[in-house]
Order: sequence, then structure tokens, then C-alpha cells
Amino acid sequence: MKYQVLVALVKMELKKFIRQPANLFLNLLFPAVLTIVFLFAFSDPEMGMDINSVVPGLIVYAVIFLIMTIAQSFSSERQEGLLKRLNTTPMTSAEFMGSQIITHMMISIVQVIVVLMLAYFLGFRPQSGIEGILLSLPVVAIFALSSVGLGLITATISKTPEAATGISFIFILPMMFFGTFIPITSTTQQIASFIPSYYLVDALKLIFEGDWMNTNILLDLAVISIFSILVVLFGIILFKKYGSR
Amino acid sequence: MSSVIKSELEKLNKKELFEIATLRKISIPNNWSKSLIVELLALNVSIDNIPKIKPVPLIHRIKTDSAPIIVIKDLAKKFEDITAIENLNLEIIEGELFSLLGPNGAGKTTTINILNGIMKPTKGTISIAGFDVTKNLDAIKKIIGLCPQEAAVFKFLNARENIELFGKLHSVSKEELEERTDNLLELLGLTEASKRKAGGYSGGMLRKLNLIIGLISDPKIVFLDEPTVGMDARARRKTWEFIGSLKEKKKTIILTTHYIEEAEALSDRVGIIDYGKLIELGTPKELMKRHATKNLEEVFLKITGRRIMEEI
Ligand SMILES: Nc1ncnc2c1ncn2[C@@H]1O[C@H](COP(=O)(O)OP(=O)(O)O)[C@@H](O)[C@H]1O
Ligand SMILES: [Mg+2]
Repeated sequence: MKYQVLVALVKMELKKFIRQPANLFLNLLFPAVLTIVFLFAFSDPEMGMDINSVVPGLIVYAVIFLIMTIAQSFSSERQEGLLKRLNTTPMTSAEFMGSQIITHMMISIVQVIVVLMLAYFLGFRPQSGIEGILLSLPVVAIFALSSVGLGLITATISKTPEAATGISFIFILPMMFFGTFIPITSTTQQIASFIPSYYLVDALKLIFEGDWMNTNILLDLAVISIFSILVVLFGIILFKKYGSR
Repeated sequence: MSSVIKSELEKLNKKELFEIATLRKISIPNNWSKSLIVELLALNVSIDNIPKIKPVPLIHRIKTDSAPIIVIKDLAKKFEDITAIENLNLEIIEGELFSLLGPNGAGKTTTINILNGIMKPTKGTISIAGFDVTKNLDAIKKIIGLCPQEAAVFKFLNARENIELFGKLHSVSKEELEERTDNLLELLGLTEASKRKAGGYSGGMLRKLNLIIGLISDPKIVFLDEPTVGMDARARRKTWEFIGSLKEKKKTIILTTHYIEEAEALSDRVGIIDYGKLIELGTPKELMKRHATKNLEEVFLKITGRRIMEEI
């Protein structure tokens, strides 16, 4: 892997994110607005949503919507012949996929910081203090791998960027309902245990509570890591074989 | 050389041999045997005068002292029920400007894409600078540049950023990159717009940027797929001038175009392709002479009864 090539690709990907209003809206502004709405208006213990369980959900919510952005980007670049063109350069697919992973890990970290900063202004004070916040960053970044993977899978299935938008909901919706800020009841608990984002919410909750010796954290982290790595590998292989032309 | 000519002549039938003889203004008695005619013609005939029949003989070259840099053998490409390329045999000589001419859907883009490794051939082999396209694509990618038919640029980047990205992917050094970028932008008249995002460019400007990106690595072999389509007349003239100047830099250029007049003026050789088959091959002069026409468009008309241009 050439460092110079990787840097050039990451720079391009970051510009793509920053310069396209739809991306900024969906992946930064929307989670920010949701954070404000949820913490300002609804964080009332009587509604069953206390601030400490809502914040991890909001973070996860932001990261799973990256699936849509990634899927749209891959399918529109495929449609415009850009992927083919990139393929005629000496760039390797490891460099290309590596840049995707690095970029989206970086974006997910920015998302966490935005949500946490807004939450802080609205009264969120994690017991873990700054250490918990720092620990949450790499955990979310690892989960962002799965968004890249699911984005690639979505782009492989969809022929157009428009289709990618719709199809990405196959992955986004279950994670939204069973693994974000929506309270889990005893009946949804069983479904939730099959939804990877549920484990991230759980892990973040425990991390922010400062309950680091809890063995559940290790279990959560194991599930998140294994799931994310498998999904991104599967996505890359699938896309390379069936999705890149 | 004469033994090569002989082996080529031996592939032809008697009627074709008589045609060559007529072309060379040699009269041969009707009762001569085929081998005798071959012997005679091999002494008298320049290789360029063997008329093209299907498939075109491999050895058709302009400069006998330079080696072929691209060798295409028995290439075929099928898309489900469509045969896009049928049994293509062709050699491109190092340093020549070769134009593939033909109506829409003839198989030009498919040929270019297979040479670039974007598409896989159904049958046949291709070697570029000694490397096999299906096996050593990585080595080939380092020496080729592509200007695809559809302008493929990042719309959210400006021209300079687009060029820089592709330059870096080719590991062009920073200083080289800056110098080449300035140079190419200036030559194609895109300097002024170079800091605006490509998303706001006109069709012609996108085409120019598309071309510059293809050339930023200073590639040895350049593929230009309809480089001037969608440009206004002025930009088109400028671009053709520019392509002409590439020739002087000893680049091997393979281009496809509908603009036959320009191709006629600039090309060392042209291949005419129709329904996936190479139906004529030679220098523009040879083809016009062979078919007794004043221009290449008429050559196509004479062979197929159609015009190349009418289908766009
Ligand atoms: N990806 C593809 N799938 C199916 N058919 C294709 C594809 N690409 C090209 N073709 C067909 O192959 C033929 C040659 O196309 P092309 O090479 O683009 O022609 P040209 O560049 O000479 O206009 C056309 O009939 C076209 O419809
Ligand atoms: Mg074409």
C-alpha cells in the first residue's frame, strides 16, 4: 500500500463528504438535530427515556445512516464510469478499500464528537468522564466498518443510486428500531439480540457509566468487532466480484 | 521481408491474387498456377498493397523498423446475444497514431475497454508492451492512459483537484504534477475554470478535463475514446491540434472518432470497423487509393453502402 495514494484517496473522500450538502445533512445535521430534539424535549424519566440511554442510541443512529451515503456513492460512481476509470490506474483495490475504511472511521468519530458535544450542552454528564468518551471513539470507529460493508453490499444489489437509497433501509430500519434510542421491551429484547447495533448501544451505555469491569462490555465488543470485520470483508469481496462493473 | 510477403500471399485465393496483380499493373496469364503467381508477386509487390480481406492479415505495418507495441490476436467479445467484436487481429506499432473508425455500435469502445482491462475478452489474446492483458494488468496500468468515451470526473472536485488525484494515483511527483497540470490546462484552454468545481462545467469543458486526466501520468500508450465528442467547433480544432502535438512526443495513440476528416489528417493508420469486424486497414492514403476515393468517408460508403456519420 502506497501512503501517497492512500492520502490522496482519503482527501478526495473527505471532500466528497464535506462538499455534498446531502451528506452533511444526513450524517451530521440530522443526528445533531435529533440529539437536540430528544434531549431537549423528551428526556424526561417519566417517558422512559433517560438521557444516559438516549445518547448512545443517537450515536448509533448517526453511524448506521452512513450505510446509505456509502451505498449511494458507490453506485453513482459506478454509473458515471468513475470506478472503471480508477481501475485503469495503478491504484490497488487494497488502497481503494482502505481509503473508504479510513474515511468512514474518521467521519464516525466526528459524528460521535458532534452528538456528545451537543448532549453535553444539554446536560449529559457521563459518569465515566473524559476516559469514557475517549474509549467510545475507537469502539464506534470499529462499528463504522460494518457500515462500509453494508454500504458495499447495498451498492452491489442496487443498479442505480436511487435504488441504493431504498435498499439501504433493509439494513438501516431494523437497526434503527431494535438498536438505537428506542426503548427495548421484554418482547423486543429477543429480536434486538440479533441486531448488531444493539450491542454497540449496550457497550456505549456501559462505557459511559464507567462500568468497565462489567464482562458484558467484553461480550459486546467481541460481537461488534467480529460482526463488523466479517461484514466489511464480505462487502468488499461481494462488491469486487459482482458490484464494481 | 519477401518470405513474409510470400506466406501472406499464400493465404489468398487465386482471384485475390489476380486482383493484386491488376492493382500493380502486372498482367498474368490465366493459366498460371497459384504458386507461380505468388512467386512473381512476392518479387514485385510491396506488402502494403495486399488488399484487405477478412480477416485482415496480421503483418500490415507502416514502419517495418519499429516493433508492434500492441498485439491483438483472434479477439472476440460477446454480450449475451450481441457479438460486439468478431475475430479481430491487429498490431499497433510503437509511436503511431492509430484511429478506429466506425459507426455507432461498431465495437470501438468495447475494443478500447478490453485493451484497458476494463472488460474481459470472450476469446483471444492481447499483449501490450509484452504483457498479457488478462495476466499482467498491473504492469500495463503503469504505462497506459485512458480518456473514456463518457467523461468520468469527480463533480465535487475542481479541475486541478481531479487532475491531482489521478496524478497521485499514478505516483507522479509533486513538481512534475504541478508543471504538467499547468501545461495541460493551458494547452486545452481550461486554466481559467480550473478552480471551479467540475459539477458546473459545460459538456465541452468536461471533455477537456476528461482528456487531461487521461494524460497526466505522461503515459507511453494513450487510449482516446471519442476525445472531441460534445465539444464546439473551436474547442474541437484546438483538441485535434493538441492530439497532433502528442504524436511528436512519440506516444502511441489509439483513438476512436466519428470525425473522419480529422482522423484522416492526423492518423498514421486507420482501421475501419463495422458490426464488430475490421473491414479495412491501412494508411489513409492507401485506403483512398485502394478504393479510388477522395476521402475516408467515401471509403466507408464504398465498402458498406452507408455513411459513418449519419448514425450519430
Ligand atoms: N456492457 C454491454 N452490455 C451489452 N451490450 C453492450 C455492452 N457494451 C456494448 N454493448 C454492445 O456492443 C456493441 C458495440 O458497442 P460499442 O463498443 O460501445 O460501440 P462503439 O463504441 O463503436 O459505438 C453495441 O451493439 C452495444 O450495444
Ligand atoms: Mg463508443
